[in-house]
Amino acid sequence: MRALGPGSVSSLLKVGLDVFWWALVGLTVLVALAVLAALVLPRLPEMSAPARDAAGGLVQVPVTRPILVGRLTLLAVYCAILLLIVRTLRRIFLTLVAGDPFRPENVGRLRGVGLGLAALAALNLLTPRLESLFIPGLVRSADAWPELTPWFSVVVVFVLAEVFREGARLRREAELTI
Amino acid sequence: MPIRIQLDRVLLQRRMSLTELADRVGVTLANLSILKTGKARAIRFSTLDALCRELDCQPGDILVFEPGPPETDED
Repeated sequence: MRALGPGSVSSLLKVGLDVFWWALVGLTVLVALAVLAALVLPRLPEMSAPARDAAGGLVQVPVTRPILVGRLTLLAVYCAILLLIVRTLRRIFLTLVAGDPFRPENVGRLRGVGLGLAALAALNLLTPRLESLFIPGLVRSADAWPELTPWFSVVVVFVLAEVFREGARLRREAELTI
Repeated sequence: MPIRIQLDRVLLQRRMSLTELADRVGVTLANLSILKTGKARAIRFSTLDALCRELDCQPGDILVFEPGPPETDED
């Protein structure tokens, strides 16, 4: 485990990834149970969401069962995508720990992480619009600027994937250098 | 690959096995096999030096250039 010297960035990353993984597993299980409860429980707790009426006044709109199930399902999908991303990152990290990070399979893994991040960014973009379909006039916090950071991170990861592809080629060259 | 390895010919002339050469040169048998079969992408000068020393030959006895289309990199 030469990459995991005490106090190294790698060792901190490993701890962070492990903690995040298990927290995410717990959260996903809770969300899945919540979806199940929202589907089967005869009575649900009263919930409401702020919305604007026709006159522009602020009102509280009751969150019905379909809306609650929809919101929780979107959250479950979000958690599932995050789980896939973190699982892939942990597999990449294992190759780093083994001292051989530029393996060809890591190229595909990084591209998968990029696609996962793109899916999360798309979900973040779509969720408020979907909610507005079911709760017309739903009040959302307005962003002054469109959120570009998630999309930028997608580009960064795809660039890294290309770097790893070149790294894998150099690794192969080094293997075949006698 | 335009560079052809004639290691087996030199080994035959010196009546030496690949295993014995691997032991003398300090390169694994697997790597020497890769070299012998022409699958190697590069050879270090230190390896070439050791091979020529043990086989008592010149680099040109082991490496031969045959003009042909250059090899494309695998993606």
